[in-house]
Amino acid sequence: MTPHHFLYLATILFGIGLLGLTIRKNLFVIYLSIELMLSSVNLILATFSRANNSQDGSIMALLMIAVIASEASIFLAIIVYLYKSTKTIDTETFTNLRNEESI
Amino acid sequence: MLESIIFSILALFLVIGAISMISFKQSVYSAISFLLVMIAMAGMFALLHQSFLFLAQILVSVGAVVTLSLMIITSINIKRDNLPKHRVSPKSIFLSSILILPIILVIFKAISSLDIKFVEVDSSFGTIQSISTTLFSNWVLPFEIVSILLLSALIGSIIISKRRLNL
Amino acid sequence: MSIILALIVILPFISSMVLASLYLSNLKIEKKLYNIIAVTTPVIVTILTFIIIYNSTQHSSSYILESYLFNWIDVGEFQIDLRFIADRLSVVMISFISFIGMLIHIYATSYMSDDDGFGKFFAYFHFFLGSMLLLVLASNPIIMFIGWELVGLASYLLIGYYHQGYDNITSANKAFIVNRVGDFGFIIALATLFISLEGNGYEFIDIKNSISLIDNHTLSIIGFFLFVGAMGKSAQLPLFVWLPDAMAGPTPVSALIHAATMVTAGVYMVARFGFLYNEIPSIGEFIAFIGISSALFGAVVALYQDDIKKILAYSTMSQLGYMFVAVGLGAYSSGIFHIFTHAFFKALLFMGAGAIIISLHHEQNIFKMGNLKKYKPQLFIVMLIASLAISGIFPFAGFFSKDAILSSAFLNHNYIIWGVGVFVAFLTSLYMFKMLFIVFFGDDKSYDNIKSLDKTLIYPLYILAFGSIVVGFLGANEAYGGSNSFSSFLALDEHIQHSSHKLEYILALISMSVSLLGIFLAYRLYFLPSQEKSYNKFEQIIVDRFYIDRVYNIIFIKGLRRVAIFFNNIVDNKIVDGFIDGISQLYLQVAYNFASSQSANVRYYALYMIGGVSLISLYLLTIL
Repeated sequence: MTPHHFLYLATILFGIGLLGLTIRKNLFVIYLSIELMLSSVNLILATFSRANNSQDGSIMALLMIAVIASEASIFLAIIVYLYKSTKTIDTETFTNLRNEESI
Repeated sequence: MLESIIFSILALFLVIGAISMISFKQSVYSAISFLLVMIAMAGMFALLHQSFLFLAQILVSVGAVVTLSLMIITSINIKRDNLPKHRVSPKSIFLSSILILPIILVIFKAISSLDIKFVEVDSSFGTIQSISTTLFSNWVLPFEIVSILLLSALIGSIIISKRRLNL
Repeated sequence: MSIILALIVILPFISSMVLASLYLSNLKIEKKLYNIIAVTTPVIVTILTFIIIYNSTQHSSSYILESYLFNWIDVGEFQIDLRFIADRLSVVMISFISFIGMLIHIYATSYMSDDDGFGKFFAYFHFFLGSMLLLVLASNPIIMFIGWELVGLASYLLIGYYHQGYDNITSANKAFIVNRVGDFGFIIALATLFISLEGNGYEFIDIKNSISLIDNHTLSIIGFFLFVGAMGKSAQLPLFVWLPDAMAGPTPVSALIHAATMVTAGVYMVARFGFLYNEIPSIGEFIAFIGISSALFGAVVALYQDDIKKILAYSTMSQLGYMFVAVGLGAYSSGIFHIFTHAFFKALLFMGAGAIIISLHHEQNIFKMGNLKKYKPQLFIVMLIASLAISGIFPFAGFFSKDAILSSAFLNHNYIIWGVGVFVAFLTSLYMFKMLFIVFFGDDKSYDNIKSLDKTLIYPLYILAFGSIVVGFLGANEAYGGSNSFSSFLALDEHIQHSSHKLEYILALISMSVSLLGIFLAYRLYFLPSQEKSYNKFEQIIVDRFYIDRVYNIIFIKGLRRVAIFFNNIVDNKIVDGFIDGISQLYLQVAYNFASSQSANVRYYALYMIGGVSLISLYLLTIL
């Protein structure tokens, strides 16, 4: 059991989250992928804290959890709002940035 | 040895949960897979002697975030028709994998060059007492800032969900 | 003295500018003021010219009066000064240019008095006068070329003076474009000359001194292309087509520019480059050949023209041909002498024709005239003098100069040229007296409102008529009791062959008798029946100038138009535009493709971002 195992695992989770972010169009899955990536960073922080016998990493992870929570609340509010307005959670429909005349 | 077995099982749960999370078509299943991932993650924290983080993970991530997500999914009651129509094509998976691979590889390379080991830690490591001691001695300002962040996230989410805008 | 020389050139330009600004100022200006300026300047210029001539006679023949104004181009060895020189050749040229110019200005004040653009006309006229004097007095070929181009411009402006008529504008364009062909030759010649001299002189004198540096072959090329320039300006075959059309301008313009002065610039230029042509007699013979062909051509075509001004235009071409015969054969003084006398009687002919035209309210067809002797006897007398002069009847001016040319051709053993020249003399008297008889005699035509002529219109004619009688004696050679004073005054570098007086008399007798024969024939053919004849097929060809205009039209205009259409439709539209449009299409396509990547779909933006990070990672992987 070395810290490397934890770190490799966290990296794989991060990669899976990134993959989910790019291939899925479902806004919920994208949200969950972001959560997953943040959690994998959390795991890395905890691992380093344990390996260095220092509480600072743990505290950073703790603060991260708070950040994850606030991010979740905002993201979910946005999802609810978008679904109420457009009755869909397909990211392909949200193209307000586009200037229709120029294409 | 026991730790290794527990790590392996947890890692298996994590990876399977993560993959199934991004694979399910239905959002509810994804959220349940994510619940699995979060619980396994909490187990990982326990394995790392981070007892307070374990607790916080269970309370916040599992108890609040995932539950909230599930509640939202069920409450807005997304119909099957409103889900994205297209299936995920193998081509896009392949292309995305090619894109992501270098990122993962470079992190792997960085990790493999690290020279760190788990050292023996005293029993107070990761407990509420020791964490709070550190938190309120060295990390007061970030703690306060995070509380403000949480407050603003609260206000923001309320305002966003209350707003009526024509998209 | 040098200031006077500079003033001769500068004054006409200044008065031209004054007239132009007065005209453009749109003020209500009395015609009198224009008249005063228009006449005063040429008079002053003429007086100054006579001072210069007097000064020139007081010195030896190699004396050159210089007037340095400023250094115009100063690039390393390439030094072009604006400098005027008055050697004997240019003194002779400016003498008749300013004198006849003055008379024509006086004539024009009356001729143009009904015209609205009075001030404009004289602004152009003075501009022409200044340009012509600049051409003649220039000390180097570059400045001479400037004068050459400016007289071309003045000619263009004056031919197109009646710009309300479309045909006049076409004629002006034609004159300008045909002259460009000649100027092209001139430029090539000058460039070749300067290149082969390698900086050894840009002034005429320096070129003359270093002419031996150039090998004969190159000299021939230079000489040929210089003559192409002269061809254009002096309306020789095959670049003569513009001269008949140039008669679209007002008659004083035809008299001054297209008879007396500008068209002789080509002859002057060949004489000026005489030191060059002396080295290449073969080109000289070519020039003489072109000259005699033009003389014959002009005389034949003139015989079949109805328009009085066109007759005179072809006659001018024919006489210019004589001059080129002279300068081509190296008898420069004879050529210049013929320019000199020709200026008098041809200006007189044109001005007389102008007087007839204006008194008949702008009627130019000779078959609609007739019996004018009864109405305008004074015009008949001056026209008769001029016709006798151009026909070469002793003792009128044309006799001496034409005789000098023909005898020099004979003495050079160019018997063909001599023979054709004598024949052209016959034709000349034939067409001149045909015109004279038809216009002044003929049946009892009567005119209701014939216009009376001003004194200012008539008196210049008298002066010129007097000149046409007497100026010939200036150049009379020993055989006629003269002293050959004209050519000894010119003192040009030429080989004059002296002949026995007997041969001289015989030659003169031959040419004079054929001229008299021409007059007699004209009397028999045209004295009384003055109705328009219909021409047979062969004559119709001559009337149509041997279809040369039409051939030019087909070869150059239509051909060039076809080439232009080809370039427009294929090269420009398809190839050039296609290439450019292709590039813009390429960019557009690339831009469209790139724009479609900006799908406004945030997911894709995230993908691009990941792509960027991925690339950075790849880079890190390679260097770590």
